[in-house]
Amino acid sequence: MAAIQSLLLRRFALRHARIAPRQSLLLVGILALGVAVFVAVRLANRAAVASFTHFTDTLTGQSDWIVQPAAGTLPESVLPELRAALGARPVQIFPVVESTGSRPPKSDTAAKFGRTTYTLLGVDLIAVANLAQQQAAGRSYFTSTRSADPRGRGTDAPDDFWGALRAGPRVWISAALAAEIGDLRSLDLVINEQVRALPIAGTIPSSADAPRVPASLIVLDLPQLQALAGKVGRLDRVEFIVEPGPRADERRAELRALLTHLGRDGERWTVTSPGERRETAATMTQAFRLNLTVLSLIALLVGLYLIFEALDGAVVRRRGEIAILRALGVEERAVRRAWLIEAAVLGLAGGALGVLLGWAGAQLSVRAVGQTVNALYYATTVESAGLDPGEIAIGVLLGLIASLAAGWWPAREAARTPPAQVLVRHATAAAGHGVLRRAGLATILVVAGALAAQLPPLRLSAGVRFPLAGYLAAFLWIFGGGILCGFLLPILARLARPVREHSAAARIALSHLAAPSGRHRLAVAALLCAIGMTAGMAILVASFDATVRNWVQRALQADLYISSNGAQSASSQNRISPETWRALAAEPAAIASSVLSAYPIELDGLPTLITGSDLSVVLARAALPWVQAPTDDAIFDPARNGALVLASESFGERFHVRRGDRVRVPTPAGWQTLTVAGVFADYGNERGSLLVERRQLATWFADDYAANISLFLRPGADAEAIRARLLTRHPGLAIYTNATLRTEILRIFRQTFSITYALEVIGVAVAVIGLALSLVSVLLDRRDELTTLRALGFDRREIAWATAFEGAVVAACAVTGGLVLSLALGWLLIHVINKQSFGWTLGFTVPWVQLAALAFTVVVTGGTVSYLVGRWGADLPADREE
Amino acid sequence: MISQREPNAGFAIYGRRLAFGGNCCCVAIMVLVHDKPVLAVTAVGKSYGERAVLAGVSFSIAAGERIALTGPSGSGKTTLLNCLGGVDRPDAGEIALLGERIDQLSSDGLARLRRERVGTVFQFFHLLPTLTAAENIELPLQLTGVPPVERAERVAAALGRVGLTARGAALPSQLSGGEQQRVAIARALVHRPALILADEPTGNLDSANGENILRLLRELTDETRTALVLVTHSEEAAAICHRNIHLRDGRIVG
Repeated sequence: MAAIQSLLLRRFALRHARIAPRQSLLLVGILALGVAVFVAVRLANRAAVASFTHFTDTLTGQSDWIVQPAAGTLPESVLPELRAALGARPVQIFPVVESTGSRPPKSDTAAKFGRTTYTLLGVDLIAVANLAQQQAAGRSYFTSTRSADPRGRGTDAPDDFWGALRAGPRVWISAALAAEIGDLRSLDLVINEQVRALPIAGTIPSSADAPRVPASLIVLDLPQLQALAGKVGRLDRVEFIVEPGPRADERRAELRALLTHLGRDGERWTVTSPGERRETAATMTQAFRLNLTVLSLIALLVGLYLIFEALDGAVVRRRGEIAILRALGVEERAVRRAWLIEAAVLGLAGGALGVLLGWAGAQLSVRAVGQTVNALYYATTVESAGLDPGEIAIGVLLGLIASLAAGWWPAREAARTPPAQVLVRHATAAAGHGVLRRAGLATILVVAGALAAQLPPLRLSAGVRFPLAGYLAAFLWIFGGGILCGFLLPILARLARPVREHSAAARIALSHLAAPSGRHRLAVAALLCAIGMTAGMAILVASFDATVRNWVQRALQADLYISSNGAQSASSQNRISPETWRALAAEPAAIASSVLSAYPIELDGLPTLITGSDLSVVLARAALPWVQAPTDDAIFDPARNGALVLASESFGERFHVRRGDRVRVPTPAGWQTLTVAGVFADYGNERGSLLVERRQLATWFADDYAANISLFLRPGADAEAIRARLLTRHPGLAIYTNATLRTEILRIFRQTFSITYALEVIGVAVAVIGLALSLVSVLLDRRDELTTLRALGFDRREIAWATAFEGAVVAACAVTGGLVLSLALGWLLIHVINKQSFGWTLGFTVPWVQLAALAFTVVVTGGTVSYLVGRWGADLPADREE
Repeated sequence: MISQREPNAGFAIYGRRLAFGGNCCCVAIMVLVHDKPVLAVTAVGKSYGERAVLAGVSFSIAAGERIALTGPSGSGKTTLLNCLGGVDRPDAGEIALLGERIDQLSSDGLARLRRERVGTVFQFFHLLPTLTAAENIELPLQLTGVPPVERAERVAAALGRVGLTARGAALPSQLSGGEQQRVAIARALVHRPALILADEPTGNLDSANGENILRLLRELTDETRTALVLVTHSEEAAAICHRNIHLRDGRIVG
């Protein structure tokens, strides 16, 4: 058996590959493309998640426990309390203050968003230095500051660590940033609304036992950052390291119990490990990453059709050879195995090439993923995506499984080929692809999809919802639609009948489509899959665009929007000090102002946001888009809204909250029980947010900093002139006019869909290649007919036109079905998948012009590619013997 | 081995409409041409690598003349037929159809020649499986730009002439072998070619059907004065021809 197998592979499969290497290479290429898209997205996702660095780890190795309040900051007074509670336990305590900053834009017109957000970490540098000595990690802040500059230029800072600490605010920067900025004397940073020129004290020392120092990390001594960030006397968290020694694990567990007890089981603070924080970050982006991963499988799905098509075509072409082998006594099993091995080799080659291409693609897409994660979730420092043996194995395995899955049916068909039938010369080829002719099955798939669309989402850990049934519905509709669309071909062929009278080429083409072969149906199904998903995504994006545009229109009514110039991502902590925003509110040209404060909080272990605004101004000047409007206007009356809150739609979905429900919210002043007065649509973040009266929030958080302030100007006031004047006075602020902010919001929104578009374009390109491959197989099957046509006087151009016409009608059929499918998929994406993943209600908008352009492009490209295939087919040598 | 002869000296008469005419089928359009051979083959040679398939083949055919091309397998019959039909090109020599050198034509020129002046009948019929019998016959007319109304008339006449009036709407798969070959003959003649090339037209038929097809070919070529080159192994088929050219190892040996 093994000998026969080897013979089959060496003498047949390998020789065919050698005779037609381009076809084998094309198949490997298609498979590689499918795998590459998946791998690229996976690596980029992984890099974005991995780049969620617990920044302190780069300084301390890894903390064992982190104490953090559920909302706001901790008073420094907890430190003596904690030290006293720990007694003589061998535990090191690291108080931490964290803030963010960004480098001032080079010009006023430069893009305000998308700049790097730097994480400013304030730690007790002496304690960190001591720890490094204990760990013998070779990490030291005591080296000369001149070491930061390999060219020997130094700062004017004192040459020793102690001197640097005494001399006022100094920063230690990453080696990567040092290499980037060139001038190492000082670094300009926007912190809150102030532009600070901070002397550079040196580079952050790295160590082999700690994570790589992220390029965006900047370290300061704790008190210096407290002063710069407006957090004097406050701590963001306290970290603990249990000293190594016997029973360390036991001591760690005991420490956690003690800290939890001191934190009154979450009332004062929560106790977590860096690993748990990383997991929380990963779950925050889980829905986003899962959605992207599912989209990345489109190209592979379409690729599967193609591999199936190609292998099946090879079975048809080599049927005579298989029949001879079978007649010579080769068992079915051996034939089947030989085909599967051939498919496996293709899969392995495609998988391996796909991993390499995917890695290259990941380097391109990682920045786009990183920008989205930065804008919506947390700070990432991702710049490149790495490849490890696990990812290589997954990519190659995916290629192998896909190829085997696609090759299984052709292998079965090959093995079942009856020798007697095919040894008869010019025997009619079997119709094949029986499953594509089952309208009943297709109807069942479509109905099952409709039922699946009604199911609720799968609830994963940490409140993440994954619309598994929604995706299942999409796949059922795609497969069902693919089968049903094949039945459209004879209808279109009938409709196009009048053309037959005018063109012999059209007559030939239409005669084939009147009773379409399995290959035609398969090509239609593959194209329909790609077009349906692409157009479906276009509908989703257009709906999102229209909804956000409408929301922006209603929500943004002020003339000027002012925030810190450093506030540009979800992780940004840059705010406006009370003195500054009060000065801004007093602007003579302003008739009203609205201040917004925002604080990250943790609710049920999930990160979310509480915001405060002047609700009476909101009522008077902005139209909140309501999902559930308040039943009365008590929420807008500062005298009556002390125990009321408005919830965003995402918050409501995530925490199962509706109007009239009560929520318990952590604040530094204790837990507050608030009644939800209404639910509003908010497309700013998917974590959700609560909105309360700002003065109330300031009292709870003992803090009057503002995230932003909006000014309503007197009629006739020149917004641009006022903006320019305010910028001169406050260079650390970013001030947008109404029109600029709207444009910026829509630009950011569209940027988040850039990867999606790229994935869709690849899917359609693969499907068009698939159409060409199908027609190649069709022409090879029809070699006799081509010879007859030539004998009848058809020239190459006419044969090419016949093929082009056939391809264009197949493409038109797929486009027609694909557009119908896209309407269904668009509905599913908007009302089921998006709603279940992100909790956003969107209107339904169909971008007709865009869809028409897509349809036109696919039909024209399909026709053109088919014409080229026809030109090639016209030169096929005759398959006749003397 | 020359079997039967019919003098062709003087003028050849083309009376195409006699057989496949349209609305005026009773009126024969008589074209008088000078006694020039329809096909003139001069010293044609063809090799595949080192192997010479045809060497110094020369002959000519007059209008209405039927020639049988016989010989054992591998003697070069089909290669010669392919060269005559412009499907293949000779390496040496000349082939002229109605005075036009077809060995010098471009690919498109050859295609035009095939559609206008040559009709082909194959052993395995080679009807287009997705077209009905009538549509198969109509195809050469459509290729030569005949208007739809005239096409319909000529197709109906052709179907009637081969005795398949009632089977015009049938697909090839619904026809018997004999019927398929009748359709193929009608397709080969409907556009009034100067030359019919038939490759073993009875090779895939039983003897009764074979005889019918041969009779039909003889009658139709007589009616239309169309030249016929018939590749065959069969003596019965060769018997309907005026001359027999016997090939062996690429050379005419009789």
